[in-house]
Amino acid sequence: MSASADGSGPTTKAITSDPPSSTTLKDEQKPAAALEEDDEFEDFPVEDWPAEEQEVPGEGGSTHLWEESWDDDDTSEDFSKQLKAELDKVKANKS
Amino acid sequence: MDTIFHIFHHAQYTRDGTVLGNLLSPIPPKGDPSLLQRFYKDSNVFDIQSDITQYIKSPQTTLPKDQRNAWIDIYVTYWKAIGEILRAESGNHRNDWAIKVYESWKEVMNLVIRGYSGSSGFQSWTLPVLYTAGKYLRVFAIKADEEQAAKVGAGAVKMETDGLGDDVTSGGLEKNERLEDAARVINRVFTLCISDRAPMEESRKWGLYHTTNLLFKTYFKLNSISLSKNCLRAIQASATDMPPMSHFPKAHIVTFKYYVGVIHFLDEEYHKAEENLTAAYRMCHRDAQSNKNLILTYLVPTYLHTTLRLPPTTTSFGQELITTLFSNFLRAIHLGALGRFNLELETHAHVFVKRRIYLSLERARELCLRNLLKRCWIVAGDKEKPRVRVKEWAAAVRWSAKAGGEGGFNDLQPRRVVDEGHVDMEDVVVADGEAGERLNGEMDDDEVECLVSGLIYKGLLKGYISRDHGIIVLNRKGEIFPGTGV
Repeated sequence: MSASADGSGPTTKAITSDPPSSTTLKDEQKPAAALEEDDEFEDFPVEDWPAEEQEVPGEGGSTHLWEESWDDDDTSEDFSKQLKAELDKVKANKS
Repeated sequence: MDTIFHIFHHAQYTRDGTVLGNLLSPIPPKGDPSLLQRFYKDSNVFDIQSDITQYIKSPQTTLPKDQRNAWIDIYVTYWKAIGEILRAESGNHRNDWAIKVYESWKEVMNLVIRGYSGSSGFQSWTLPVLYTAGKYLRVFAIKADEEQAAKVGAGAVKMETDGLGDDVTSGGLEKNERLEDAARVINRVFTLCISDRAPMEESRKWGLYHTTNLLFKTYFKLNSISLSKNCLRAIQASATDMPPMSHFPKAHIVTFKYYVGVIHFLDEEYHKAEENLTAAYRMCHRDAQSNKNLILTYLVPTYLHTTLRLPPTTTSFGQELITTLFSNFLRAIHLGALGRFNLELETHAHVFVKRRIYLSLERARELCLRNLLKRCWIVAGDKEKPRVRVKEWAAAVRWSAKAGGEGGFNDLQPRRVVDEGHVDMEDVVVADGEAGERLNGEMDDDEVECLVSGLIYKGLLKGYISRDHGIIVLNRKGEIFPGTGV
C-alpha cells in the first residue's frame, strides 16, 4: 500500500511541477557526460575554429612537432657516473 | 510546444542547421531546463499527431509537403521518446527503462534517416539533425546494454541463491546487443552519406566524416576495430568524389584523423599513424585538453617507433600528458635504466593495456637498452679501439636492471619529481615478478650477448660479436649507434 503510494508520488510531481524536475534532468545529463569522459574522444563544443586557436597554428609541415631534444641534460650525469663506476669495477678485475 | 516550434520554424527560415540539430536533443538546453517537460505536457497520446501536424503546417512554413510529413513523423516519435525519458527520470524506475528509451529513440533515428532518403529529402544544411539523433542513439544504446548487464548480473545472483545452476543464467543475450544494433543503424547513415550523388553543395557527403567518427567511436567501444577499416576503405575508394578535407569543419577532421591514426597504430603502421596523429594534434583546438592527451597517448609511442628517439619533455606540446603518464617512462629510456623501465611499465600497465599501447611501449625496451650501451660507450669506451668486452656490457645491463633501475634512479628522481609535482615514489610498487623474467639483475653474459645481437640485427647497433674472444667489435667508421650521433 505504502509502496504503491511512494511509487506514484514522484511521477506526478515530476510532471506537474517544475522545481524538482531540474534535479532529475541533471541526473539524466550525468550518465551521458560520464559516457563521454571515459577514454573516448570527446565531441568538440564547437564545429570549427580559426587557425589561431589550433594547437599548432598554421598549415605547413615544416616545423616538426618535437623540436628540442633530451640529449645530455645534467640530471643524467649522476646516472652516467654510477654506470662508469660499475664498468670500472669490471675493468679492474680483468682476468 | 510553442517554444520548440517557434525555434523550429525560425531555424528552417534561416537555414540554421546547428539550431535545428540542437532542438532535437533529448537533453533540454541549459537555459531552459523544463523545456522538454513542458513540451511533453502540452499534448497527450491521443492528440499528439494532430497537434504536431498543426504546428508543422503553420502558415510560416515553406517546407515542401514530403519534408513536412517527415518532420511530423519525427516530432511525433520524438514526443513519445521524450515521454519515455521523462518517465525514466521520474525516479519511478522500472528495471527496463533504458531499453525503452533506446527503442523509442531508435524510432526517432529511423524516421530521421527516412527524412533524408529520396530526392526530396532534407537538405544538407540540416545534417546536424542527423548528428544529434545518431549521437544519442549511441549513448542510449550503451545505457541500455549497461542496464541489461546489471539485470543479468542481479539475476545471476538471485538464481544462485535459488539454487539454480550456471547454465540457466549464462544463456543470456549478447552483451552489447543494443550497441551492435545502433552500429547497424549508424552504418545506414554512413551509406546514406557516402552514396549521395547530389551536387556537392547539396550533398550529404558533408556529413560523411562526422558520421564516420560516430561509427568509429561505436566500433571502438564494441572492440570491433576491424570493421572501422571497412569504412576507411569505402572512404578511400570515394576520395575523388569528396570535397577537400580543408573544407570540412575542423571538429570533424581532427576526430577523423585521430581515429585513422589509432587504427594505423594498432596495425603497427607507424608512419601512417604518425602522419594522421600529428595532423590531428596540430589542428586540435588548443583548449581541448583531454582530446590532446588522447592524441598524444598514441603519438608518443608512435614517435618512439618511427624515429627511435624520445619526444622531448621540455616543449610546450602536451606537457601535461607527457609529465603524468610518460615522464618517468621516457626518462628511463633516456637514461637506459632498465629496472626503472620495467617498473614504469608495470606500474602503469593497466592504463597502457586499456589504451592498447602496452605492447608497443614494451618494444621500446630495445631503445632503453641501446641508450644504456651508448652511455657505456660514452663514459668508458676506448675511442681508439672500438671494441667492448661482453663482460663489461653484461655487468652494465645487470647493474641497470637492478641497482641502476632503483637506487640509481632514486638519487636523480627527487629533483625531477618536485619540479613536476607528481608521482610519489612511495606509490611506485617494485615489480620484480614479471619484469624480472625479462631483464633482471641475474642475467648471465650469454643472455646479454643475445640481447646485443638483437640490437645489431635491428640496426640499432653497428658491429659484430666475436664469440671466441668474448668481445663486441664496433663500427670503426661512422656512428656506432645509428641516428644518435655517437
